[in-house]
Amino acid sequence: MKPPYAVHRNLIIRLDDAFLLAVMLGIAAILTAAMTLQYANGELPCPLCLLERVALFGVCFGILLNFRCGFSGRNTGCSLLFAMLLLVVSVRQTLLDIYPRPGHAYIGSAILGIHMPVWSIIIAVALLTAYALKLALLGGDEILRNADVSAQPHVKRLVDLLGLYLIALVAINLVSVVLQCGLGECHTFGYKLLTASSAGPASSAAPDSAARRAAAPVRACARAARTVRAAALQLRSR
Amino acid sequence: MMVAVFAALLCAFVAGWFAHRRLAAACIAATFVLALGLFLYEVYSPEYGFRMPWIRTHADPTAVSQHVPA
Repeated sequence: MKPPYAVHRNLIIRLDDAFLLAVMLGIAAILTAAMTLQYANGELPCPLCLLERVALFGVCFGILLNFRCGFSGRNTGCSLLFAMLLLVVSVRQTLLDIYPRPGHAYIGSAILGIHMPVWSIIIAVALLTAYALKLALLGGDEILRNADVSAQPHVKRLVDLLGLYLIALVAINLVSVVLQCGLGECHTFGYKLLTASSAGPASSAAPDSAARRAAAPVRACARAARTVRAAALQLRSR
Repeated sequence: MMVAVFAALLCAFVAGWFAHRRLAAACIAATFVLALGLFLYEVYSPEYGFRMPWIRTHADPTAVSQHVPA
């Protein structure tokens, strides 16, 4: 039978792992949903929306470091710092668009009647509250510092999978940002690099060629009519 | 600028994945500073500065006087 201290220690480690995994999973799901809306519905993220994504990734980074490099209060602090950044950015964005005026309105579709900046406030407050509760209820810095995630193979496997998935998400976002913003400011009009390449000098005749392609069936019909008329004239002359 | 933020973030994640703690910390610090700078740049308006004059923060005196009991 395990001594009471060992039971208490295992419980704290498991609860902490469950909490961190739940936060990571939740954030990965939110970011996946945002990226699905971007690529499936063509809803390009605004600069502040991209910064909100960065903040969410930052929260996950602290958690990932807790699992990969061992528990540290610094990693928790990093997550909390990015949760604060998320709150500041999303509150400011909500206040920017709260009063509709020319050039300012909530971007993207509403989910359950709430737009993304307002959702971001809710997410940030939920994250800060959850971290505060976790620190208040679990504590156990000494226990967690000596915990080894490799002692729980299923947790380690899940963390590895989630970590790789998050790295892939960051890489996709980086490529997307390069396409959308280039090296300058970000806009929601379209993917800057793709638009620039299609409007470049090499393809400046693109609209002409498109019009020519569209008129091709009409030209073919006219050619066929001319041929038929010529054949009829020949028959009549005989 | 946004590209730099995401590049630093990717660098931080990769360094963290390979347990290069110092490099990861440096990259995430760079991400945070760049993101904060970009945020301030985005919300700054040459016309209003950091103020938000479209949000009314004072009550209309005439509207208030209507609710004062006689």
